[in-house]
Amino acid sequence: MTDLHTDGNGVAGLLEEILAVEVTTMVRKCQSCGDRQPIAAHRAYRGAGVVLRCPSCGDVAVRIGVHAEAVTVEWRGTYAIAQTGSGSP
Amino acid sequence: MPPFSRGFHGRRRADVDPSRLPPGQYLTPDFPVLSAGPTPHTPLDEWSLTIDGAVDAAVSWSWEAFLALPTETFTVDIHCVTKWSKLDTTWTGVSVDTLLKDVETAADYVTAWSDGDYTTNVPLEDLTGGRAWVVHTYDAAPLEPEHGGPARLLVPHLYFWKSAKWLRGLTLTVQDEPGFWESVGYHNYGDPWREQRYWSD
Amino acid sequence: MTRRAPVVWRTATVRGVVAESPHARTLVLDVPEWPGHRAGQHVDLRLTAEDGYQAQRSYSIASAPELDALEITVELIDDGEVSPYLVEEVRPGDQFEVRGPIGGHFTWSVPDGGPLLLIGGGSGLVPLMSMLRHRAARRSEVEARILVSARGTEDALYRDELASLEPSAGLHVAWTFTRTPPPGWTGWARRVDAAMLAELGPGPDAGARSFVCGPTPFVERVAELLVEAGHDPRAIHAERFGPTGG
Repeated sequence: MTDLHTDGNGVAGLLEEILAVEVTTMVRKCQSCGDRQPIAAHRAYRGAGVVLRCPSCGDVAVRIGVHAEAVTVEWRGTYAIAQTGSGSP
Repeated sequence: MPPFSRGFHGRRRADVDPSRLPPGQYLTPDFPVLSAGPTPHTPLDEWSLTIDGAVDAAVSWSWEAFLALPTETFTVDIHCVTKWSKLDTTWTGVSVDTLLKDVETAADYVTAWSDGDYTTNVPLEDLTGGRAWVVHTYDAAPLEPEHGGPARLLVPHLYFWKSAKWLRGLTLTVQDEPGFWESVGYHNYGDPWREQRYWSD
Repeated sequence: MTRRAPVVWRTATVRGVVAESPHARTLVLDVPEWPGHRAGQHVDLRLTAEDGYQAQRSYSIASAPELDALEITVELIDDGEVSPYLVEEVRPGDQFEVRGPIGGHFTWSVPDGGPLLLIGGGSGLVPLMSMLRHRAARRSEVEARILVSARGTEDALYRDELASLEPSAGLHVAWTFTRTPPPGWTGWARRVDAAMLAELGPGPDAGARSFVCGPTPFVERVAELLVEAGHDPRAIHAERFGPTGG
């Protein structure tokens, strides 16, 4: 059974409406399982808004409310921002 | 003003009685599947539906007991906050009034909770008086897992995120407790006819 | 922290259209003040109907960063809302909005080096093609292998171009057809599996950078196969398209 998820790459545009930084390379340490994964690898689910989940344990990492004039973002877990060295335009 | 894309209409039909569509909604011919997480697959012999919280005594049904409850088959329109509406959907399920028949409570609110970590909050009076059901059949077939099977809450007069999929319980609460989407800015009540999508509406 | 220009919606005008297959088309776009992109990035695309109705989808950029236009390749999805419009209706002069470029994890530039292992399922080939076009534009000889899984020739994108690129030093192109191989085909005709990846190479000790793209089940299966074969999970970059509709 395949769940209809994508990944953090597909929601990067939405997150970047709020942040001025590239998000897919940001590394998150999961507060539930301790695993570290880039946002790109997190599983994205679309409901009323968008949910990103830890690819290792499935716990909620980010909840995004998509509103008419605003985007609400709630983060869980701790974050380390990884400089990839390759930069973005 | 964004540029128009010549010739783009989207799929929605224009030939619908406008009084059937709440403001800002578009008709969909299919049944989009939206979810906050992966589809759970609780075996029916491990499934139960529970009413607890601010009640004199909690009540619980196994799947067999739940199926033995009196049901209704009814047809309603459903409206999703992501702007699609689907008209004339037919369901079979147990009225929440039936589930609450022997439940004593002074609570005014309900938190519906599901397999996975999903919750949503609804005033108790919006789940009673024939306005809500726990359904197990859609379009004369067992409710599919991707649409919330084996059983989901159905509250058609509110936006569809309130109709919690994979329902496992209704917890009655004295205070209103914003659920999963409500706590990231979606409207606490969610009336599609007043277009209550977000907290600022 | 990598700061970048704010990602805003820009008006894209269709300069031309190219039929890639019976069900796919490349749109060549002019986007004023386009900041440039890295191979592998995508754009969000937004259509607005006359009554204000909007639909939004994401599309991988197909073109190399060196090209003077922005190209996206769109595959027709049955019953889709957006792809039928983009594949069957859009003509030069039409406009819509694009936002981007978006992405950082799923990108590759020649200075990043290799060896490269690119595995695409269906339209998952598009961002990988941007990488190979960039590699060709730079005349790079970074070792690169690309494996494309397609149902049949009808949904095999860029076949001729890939064939013309292959003689370039260090590039190996492989196809597998899972439903209808072309007549006379003697190559792989099955879903990607461990034996195929072993035959394709490189082995896990080569330190390859892998990019896997396509429908979610394909990506997750292939990524798992790579990990099982001993490749470093941190060097496997995945982009899941998912059944997000068209």
